[in-house]
Amino acid sequence: MIPIWKNPEFIRHLRAELRTTRALTVAGVVVVIAVLIWLGCWGSRASEMALMRNQAAHLHFTAERLAEMERQSPIVVWFDFYRILMFAQLGILTFWSLFSCAQSISGERERKTWDFQRATRLSPGELLAGKLLGEPLLAYFIILCCLPIALLAGLLGQAGLGNVATGYLLIISGALFIGLAGMWLSNLFESRSRGVGLIGTFGIYLLFGFVSGARDSNFPGIAAFSPLAGFMPLFERQEFSLGKPAIFGSMVPWVVMSLLLYITFGTWLVLMLLRTLTKDYEQMRPLSRWQAVGCAAFLNFTLYALFVPRSLTDWDSFAKYMVAINGLILFAMGLAMLTSPEKLRVWWRTHSETRWSIFAEDGPQWPWLALSAAVGYGLLLWGLFAWKNTLGFESRALKVGLLEFAVVLIYITRDIAFIQWCRLTRMRAPVLKGILFVGLYYVAAIVLSVVGSVYSETQGRYFYSVLTPVGVFEPGPPNLHFPVAVFVGMGIQLGLIVLLEIAIMARLRPAIGRAIPH
Amino acid sequence: MIELTSLRKEFDDLVAVENLTLSIPSGEIYGLIGPNGAGKTTTIRMICGLLEPTQGRVRVAGIDVLGEPERARQYIGYLSDFFSVYEDLKVWEYLDYFAHAYKMPESEIPERVSTVIAQAGLEVKRDGMIRGLSRGMKQRLGIARAMIHRPKVLVLDEPASGLDPKARIELRNLLRSARDEGATILISSHILTELEGFCTSIGIMEKGRLIRSGRLEEVMLEGTPTRTVHLQWLGEGRAHIQAGLGNLATVSELKLNGNEGEFFFSGSDDELSQALADLITSGVRVLSFREVKQTVEEMYMKLSSHEVM
Repeated sequence: MIPIWKNPEFIRHLRAELRTTRALTVAGVVVVIAVLIWLGCWGSRASEMALMRNQAAHLHFTAERLAEMERQSPIVVWFDFYRILMFAQLGILTFWSLFSCAQSISGERERKTWDFQRATRLSPGELLAGKLLGEPLLAYFIILCCLPIALLAGLLGQAGLGNVATGYLLIISGALFIGLAGMWLSNLFESRSRGVGLIGTFGIYLLFGFVSGARDSNFPGIAAFSPLAGFMPLFERQEFSLGKPAIFGSMVPWVVMSLLLYITFGTWLVLMLLRTLTKDYEQMRPLSRWQAVGCAAFLNFTLYALFVPRSLTDWDSFAKYMVAINGLILFAMGLAMLTSPEKLRVWWRTHSETRWSIFAEDGPQWPWLALSAAVGYGLLLWGLFAWKNTLGFESRALKVGLLEFAVVLIYITRDIAFIQWCRLTRMRAPVLKGILFVGLYYVAAIVLSVVGSVYSETQGRYFYSVLTPVGVFEPGPPNLHFPVAVFVGMGIQLGLIVLLEIAIMARLRPAIGRAIPH
Repeated sequence: MIELTSLRKEFDDLVAVENLTLSIPSGEIYGLIGPNGAGKTTTIRMICGLLEPTQGRVRVAGIDVLGEPERARQYIGYLSDFFSVYEDLKVWEYLDYFAHAYKMPESEIPERVSTVIAQAGLEVKRDGMIRGLSRGMKQRLGIARAMIHRPKVLVLDEPASGLDPKARIELRNLLRSARDEGATILISSHILTELEGFCTSIGIMEKGRLIRSGRLEEVMLEGTPTRTVHLQWLGEGRAHIQAGLGNLATVSELKLNGNEGEFFFSGSDDELSQALADLITSGVRVLSFREVKQTVEEMYMKLSSHEVM
């Protein structure tokens, strides 16, 4: 691995984006803006003090208190200045990182320069490092220009060196993580789907900001995905004070939580990027079968580790919540395991030659989805045992959890089989369209249930139990007496899965056409 | 130098390349010709390791491109049909970037960059921004980039498309200098005149299959087992020509019009020379007697018409 300062991709960005004139201009603009912000802080504090002096009698301020406030004024000004600078740097670097990295690979594809990079001897890791730090290089330079000013302001504002260091640690780690997320998104989208990619990028940025709201949920640690969670307590404002997140019930500082999440989830993003970065678009598959099972286990494990019982106070609601989340995890893993039509055809032609071919890397997804669900179920049992003192535990939890998992698995398998079928058609952006069709199906099922419930509530329930997995989450399954509609729904979905598998096999017939126009 | 064995590539339910087996020896300039959609670009992308074959094997300089992609890339220089360059870099910076990306020894890079810039005729633009270059200059810069790491194999996909005649001549000169450096060149094109007088070997692709491949002269001969001979004479001689040539078993399709004519000849050079001598002896005042050379385009049309269904 080439060190980053010798990485050709990083040097390319350095040369292109930081020519002397531009660098000097940027540095000058940073200084001017910093001076303007400082003047703003000073002016604001001066008017605040003038107001206090005028209303000292009304506010019952003694002369000594006023004098103390006057003495503290420079510190307050510098601290306010420092706070604004830090937040500005956080906003600039994370935004810039996300948007530049989110266009890095799709942009190269669009410019027709990507093949030349892929044809060089740069390894996926070297390309990744060069782009991750190179694409938002100008933003990093802005941070570098701000650093001495922020350090000075932090020290004069008595924030302390540790505070400044922690702030920068969060800014840089948050920017690297969000940059990785952006690059992952960029790699998934073809140049022609760039618009969708950009919408996704906006979504990631909003999620990155709003996820800090998860601090009041049953998984407060998730809030640490946003650097704001660790950033706000650094500035000692009452309205920003948060409780601490917990790992297996032990409190940890927000900064530590953020770093743990960035490192672990960042590792998965890096793994997916390294697997796919230099691959042809059609051949990309973010995770291997075993990695997908591992990823499902990791996500489950992380959720159990971050769990803090708040609204979920009994085993049944906890199990239902975790099964529902596993539905999303299985869907994501199913998408990550989609096989390219070409590989699936090769598997189909050769599958009879290999024993256990159903579990082959290029074979169908359902055996691996079932394995991921089994791992999820095992971890659910482990989670229920681990939290049994707080949530209580009954032996029927084993059967209830199993049935709920089975229902969710069947629906997800159907949806993934449908999207795999879409990939075998000549549809443009088949995965995206497949997901939209699946979404449309669920919306239609909900509307049908609502319309049905206009006539009778039972009819409405029947519809959503037959058409969606929601029925299995209905409260209180005494002795496993789920509505019959749930089992009818399971039967219908199993039938649909068989039909979809037949449709997929029909499309795997030997290729007969010849030569396509470019 | 390039070995393709039973190569196959499928897209959706179409076979873009089918059972392609080809061996290109070292030092050859191999022209891959065929219409759009014949599978040339797909083949080239598989050779460069940019596209994974559905089936078959690609070896370049004895290295399996799929098995050891990074090692194989060291020996391959590639230029695609439609490409762009990093407009925000200077000419030397662009080549320096790729020299480093191909992991050339650090000490060799500055000299190599200068050499390649000189070969591409871009010395005056060395410190200029790429966005200021003309289309032809950018194309030459693209080839210079493909040559920067002294690849043993240079793979060029339609390198002259969209270039004016002057730029094409410059491009040809640049490729000659690559050949002189010892590179084996694989060049694809559907503009057949582009390859004439330049390639040593040729392959014709149709609908994903290689229908002919070999040394240029062999393929040309295969395309036309008979030669076309054109002659002109002065004065009266038509009857002598009709009698002299019309009776030869090696002559067919004799067509005479005014004081000139054309015929197909299937004999050897000696026999053709004897036919000319006989005409002169019989009193025909021959003004010119020459073989009409077939162009690659004509040869391609003849060969491909047998295969196209």
